[in-house]
Amino acid sequence: MRVVDHPILGKLPEGRTVEITFDGHPLEALEGEPILAALLAHGIQRCRTTVKRREPRWFYCGIGRCTDCVMIVNGIPNVRTCVTTVGAGMKIETQEGLGRWERADA
Amino acid sequence: MHEVEIAVVGAGPAGLSAAIEAARAGAKVLLLDENRKPGGQLFKQIHKFFGSKAHYAAVRGIDIGCRLLDEAQESGVETWLNIPVWGLFGNHTLAVIRDGRAQTVRAKKIILATGASENALSFPGWTLPGVMTAGAAQTMMNIHRVLPGQRVLMVGAGNIGLIVSYQLLQAGGEVVAVIEAMDQIGGYAVHAAKIRRAGVPILVSHTIREAHGREQVEAATIVQVDEQMQPIPGTERRLGVDTVCLAVGLTPLAELGWMAGCGFAYIPDLGGFVPLHDENMETTLPGLYVAGDITGIEEANSAMEEGRLAGLAAAEALGYLREEAISRKAEVRQRLDSLRLGPFGEKRQRAKERLLGECRGQLAKQEPPDVSKSCQDLTRSRITVVTGVLSLEELAGSPGYPSQERLRSGKVAVIECMQQIPCDPCVGACPRGAISIAPTITDLPVLDAEKCNGCGLCLPACPGLAIFLVDLTFSPTETLVAFPYEYLPLPKVGTEVEAVDREGHVVARGRVVRVQNPPRYDRTPVISIAIPKEFAQVVRSIKRSGKR
Repeated sequence: MRVVDHPILGKLPEGRTVEITFDGHPLEALEGEPILAALLAHGIQRCRTTVKRREPRWFYCGIGRCTDCVMIVNGIPNVRTCVTTVGAGMKIETQEGLGRWERADA
Repeated sequence: MHEVEIAVVGAGPAGLSAAIEAARAGAKVLLLDENRKPGGQLFKQIHKFFGSKAHYAAVRGIDIGCRLLDEAQESGVETWLNIPVWGLFGNHTLAVIRDGRAQTVRAKKIILATGASENALSFPGWTLPGVMTAGAAQTMMNIHRVLPGQRVLMVGAGNIGLIVSYQLLQAGGEVVAVIEAMDQIGGYAVHAAKIRRAGVPILVSHTIREAHGREQVEAATIVQVDEQMQPIPGTERRLGVDTVCLAVGLTPLAELGWMAGCGFAYIPDLGGFVPLHDENMETTLPGLYVAGDITGIEEANSAMEEGRLAGLAAAEALGYLREEAISRKAEVRQRLDSLRLGPFGEKRQRAKERLLGECRGQLAKQEPPDVSKSCQDLTRSRITVVTGVLSLEELAGSPGYPSQERLRSGKVAVIECMQQIPCDPCVGACPRGAISIAPTITDLPVLDAEKCNGCGLCLPACPGLAIFLVDLTFSPTETLVAFPYEYLPLPKVGTEVEAVDREGHVVARGRVVRVQNPPRYDRTPVISIAIPKEFAQVVRSIKRSGKR
């Protein structure tokens, strides 16, 4: 849920939006925000699953240290979504286990 | 290879302050940070800071951050962002990743201001989506403007746990409880008091047993612990929450110091292993300096002062500043000392002294400080800080509380600040000089109630939101109580509200008489309500409206 109005920070500035896709579904994101924030704003609470038990993982530290929030971004796995800014047309995918590289020549 | 005079690693409060001082002294300074934006954790600190009015007290962390960025730019600091420093070879060469390539930076002096990381706490279910550090929640809501959850269990009642709980309420979340394994809160009572009067329970001697849920957190079980921190069977309670925030301490981020091979000491009161440093913040490796949380967990004010000290010392060592350096450094050291006074600072002061002692190679011969006596007793003997709610007897005996006689004679400030913390903005806020804090900044505020005319300017100035206004003469049947209120929506004048006591219990009906929120209050609105006379000493806020 977005914090639209805040007693200290004021109203959420009206920024430009960009469209990204999450597991194939189009989503609206705010320009300049990290991928994780965009997903969180849409209620998405899972970034990846673990290698062995396929347990769900989301974010833990939110500042790029723990790597719990890695996802496949534009075909590249293990991208830390809490510190990677959204871009127009960005393709975000849930990472199963170690993920899979999308071959550029495929 | 890039060459500079001084390289500063980390652009948080310590690194920025170090870079600014060194650049002002004339040195060519490069400031590096792995993040896209400088400021470290400052920009998520939306509350007013404690400290001396001479140095940013009562200014919000976000605004201090903006000032530091301006100063860094004005002083000519070169800043490289989005550039991780991954290595430190010897005491002069940094390895960085710039534009996707490994590169080195060679500096005559290097200042490490890498900060700290949040501690983890493992329990069944701790890997579930919805379990996160308190700092993560703070980053999401205050920087990225997304609320990480609706119903939160906060684990840990140190200042971070208390402050983030308050900020979760401000962002529109609900804090179901704050739990603390110790038998009293670790943070400031005024921070606890803010969330207590907002109705948040603080359960001391409690820990988390398990987080439940399949895909994400759906509930959490908490349990009471005995004096040995062992769970007491039969005291388990299940709370419906969707988020568990962990605020269980910080550990200095000192990898680069280890890599360089500087001397370390293990000092639990500072958060673990910390690099040894001398009075100039220089490590055992000549030319390698440290500042901020990497040298021991404190708070942003101390980090900024340590940064200044390191920046001045590094510049001095390069031949800048000359005689001026001695007096400038002395000023900073004096301010640092004053921030480490009182029951909260004393432990850190002793730990820092030990650090300096070990650095001199004089492995502290004196007896280790008896912390249980010197520090905890001080906080305990004065007031009941268990969950931050003060009793009327305790308050009546404090120097910030007006006499019954003065209260009966009309509008007057009531200062509910009873811990020796380094903070003094209330003194400067009073145009009549009715509040004094002396001789040290950690002394309790003393109210000269005869001088106080009840203007209320001290209310928004107090970072702890611990000053209120009471007017027993408001009307024959009603008392006026004014209090700071940093939530949305603000109540409207003339409306009926539910008046709450210091624990958030609704005790009376009230009527909003005034809502003041001028720019100089800096987003701390002051609400005045009329309540039945008998609740004058009981009511300290209103029940928050659920609607945003």
